[in-house]
Amino acid sequence: MDDQGCPRCKTTKYRNPSLKLMVNVCGHTLCENCVEMLFVRGSGNCVQCDTPLRKSNFRMQLFEDPTVDKEVEIRKKVMKIYNKREFDFPSLREYNDYLEQVEDIVYNLTNNIDVENTKLRMEQYQKENKDIIQRNKAKLTREQEELEELFLLEQQSNEQRRLEVLQEEQRQLQAKRKNKQALLDELEQSQLPATVLLAKHKVRAAQLETEIEQQKQNVKPTSIFSTGIQIRQNVSLQPLPRIEEVLYHYKPLQIETYGPPVPELEHLGRFGYLNHVRAAMPQDTAGGYTSALACYRAIQDAFSGLFPPKG
Amino acid sequence: MFHNSSQKKYWTFKSEDEVEQMRVSANEKFCKRVLETAKPVVSASVLLERYGEEVLFRHYERRMLEFCNAFKPAMPKSVVGTALMYFRRFYLNNSIMEHHPRIIMLTCAYLSCKVDEFNVSSTQFVGNLVQETPAGQERVLEQILEYELLLIQQLNFHLVVHNPYRPMEGLLIDLKTRYPMLENPESLRKSADDFLTQAVMTDAGLLFSPSQIALTAVLNSASRAGINMESYLTECLKLKEDKETLTKMYDSMRRMKTLLKKYEPPNLEEVIVFKQKLEWIHAQLASSSNKRKRGYEEDGHVAKEPRLAAEEWSDEDLL
Repeated sequence: MDDQGCPRCKTTKYRNPSLKLMVNVCGHTLCENCVEMLFVRGSGNCVQCDTPLRKSNFRMQLFEDPTVDKEVEIRKKVMKIYNKREFDFPSLREYNDYLEQVEDIVYNLTNNIDVENTKLRMEQYQKENKDIIQRNKAKLTREQEELEELFLLEQQSNEQRRLEVLQEEQRQLQAKRKNKQALLDELEQSQLPATVLLAKHKVRAAQLETEIEQQKQNVKPTSIFSTGIQIRQNVSLQPLPRIEEVLYHYKPLQIETYGPPVPELEHLGRFGYLNHVRAAMPQDTAGGYTSALACYRAIQDAFSGLFPPKG
Repeated sequence: MFHNSSQKKYWTFKSEDEVEQMRVSANEKFCKRVLETAKPVVSASVLLERYGEEVLFRHYERRMLEFCNAFKPAMPKSVVGTALMYFRRFYLNNSIMEHHPRIIMLTCAYLSCKVDEFNVSSTQFVGNLVQETPAGQERVLEQILEYELLLIQQLNFHLVVHNPYRPMEGLLIDLKTRYPMLENPESLRKSADDFLTQAVMTDAGLLFSPSQIALTAVLNSASRAGINMESYLTECLKLKEDKETLTKMYDSMRRMKTLLKKYEPPNLEEVIVFKQKLEWIHAQLASSSNKRKRGYEEDGHVAKEPRLAAEEWSDEDLL
């Protein structure tokens, strides 16, 4: 594949790594600079296909193939109208037909096949299904809202946990500092020898340390698993209903050959069959060939279907 | 393996009558269609009847055998057998008047070279049409390629043909191993081979399994040499208790032998008469068959010229 580049100024990604390609509704690329230059007034025509375009409709090209970008854009638009869902249909078959129809429309619009008719079809559909579209749209936004709410909640709890941890740390820091200060004070005022004071201080510091350690260890138990299930929720502990399956038993393959039994490949030599075939040359055996294989095949062929069908 | 092959399932028929019936109905179907659609110049009297078709079929079958035997590099027997079987299967459901046997036989041979892994290039293949000019060979090649798909389709994509040659080798090996009463099994080979060569020219391949044909060939060859091999069937093939199967096998062997005996090479004078008729029919129907192929031509797959030119070369040029 050639290097991607702007069709107008012929700059390529290779020559200018920071080149930004953009796509509009028609699916033709232009680089950012050319867009700035050509669409100073906000609108103009595509350099390649002369479609009237708006500057605001230019998007960053996300995919290597600009038609994919175009399709994504078109699909977004089509899906706004064709927003029925599976439970709007009485059967899976109809739902699939509907999906097929949507795909057809997207494909036609992307590849400029029969655009006029397709657009007409879409408009007609929109008119006919106004209510359903509106309802589904509402439903969709509601679901969207619920999702967002959930997301927000999660964010909040995360923030709270962070704050708690921060506070805890601060408290510990403070305790340590207080301890140190106390030592200094005592050294200044007390009559006791300094070594005793130091030893006392050491014991206190160690105590503090262990306390902190303990606190760190007994983290406040969360009430929710990361999956969102309550920890103390009564989960049914009954074992899943076991599906009784009969174990697979190997049965040797029985093939009706309509003829007398054929000796096994391994036994050909013992029965003396191999004395009557050409021995394999050393160069033949390199590929795994043995004279028994050819012999076996000939015997099989000789016996297969030898007896006339019964009845 | 033959026992689970398409040959056993779809291309082995119960009786000679069934096979004959299929050919008759193919002939009738074609005649009916032509009389309904074609121009008034075509009347029932100018069309070939079943007998004429049979004569021509046998004639072209022989031509095909000659072509295959003269082929360079030498064609293995199984390739020839497969080609002849294709030819036979093709005209089971098609009339000779519909598709000219001249090109079908070459297509059969060409296809069987491919299927049986007898590696010749297409130019090498048509290079065996020694009487043709290079340009003529080129035309034939184009025709072969044009008919190849039709042939494969008419064979219902059942391309593997089980020939009786390997079963015969297997039987000889088995005889040498398990039947020491027979002193020199190799001595049977020559006349058994002849039997098989004759058998491919009959409907035996459509009625019996290749192993049955091979066994019949060996037993026939033995009885000619004055050897009775019944004990091989009863002892080695364990048919002593199974009298029913044994009688059935003898029966089918008898049927096969009569089939071979009944075969007679086509009468040359008849061939000439019927061939003229055939050429006339094909010339008359060329236009309508062109129409049928037009879909092809519009796609640019097949040029129109070679088809028209094709009528020019006669089978006298073939060998």
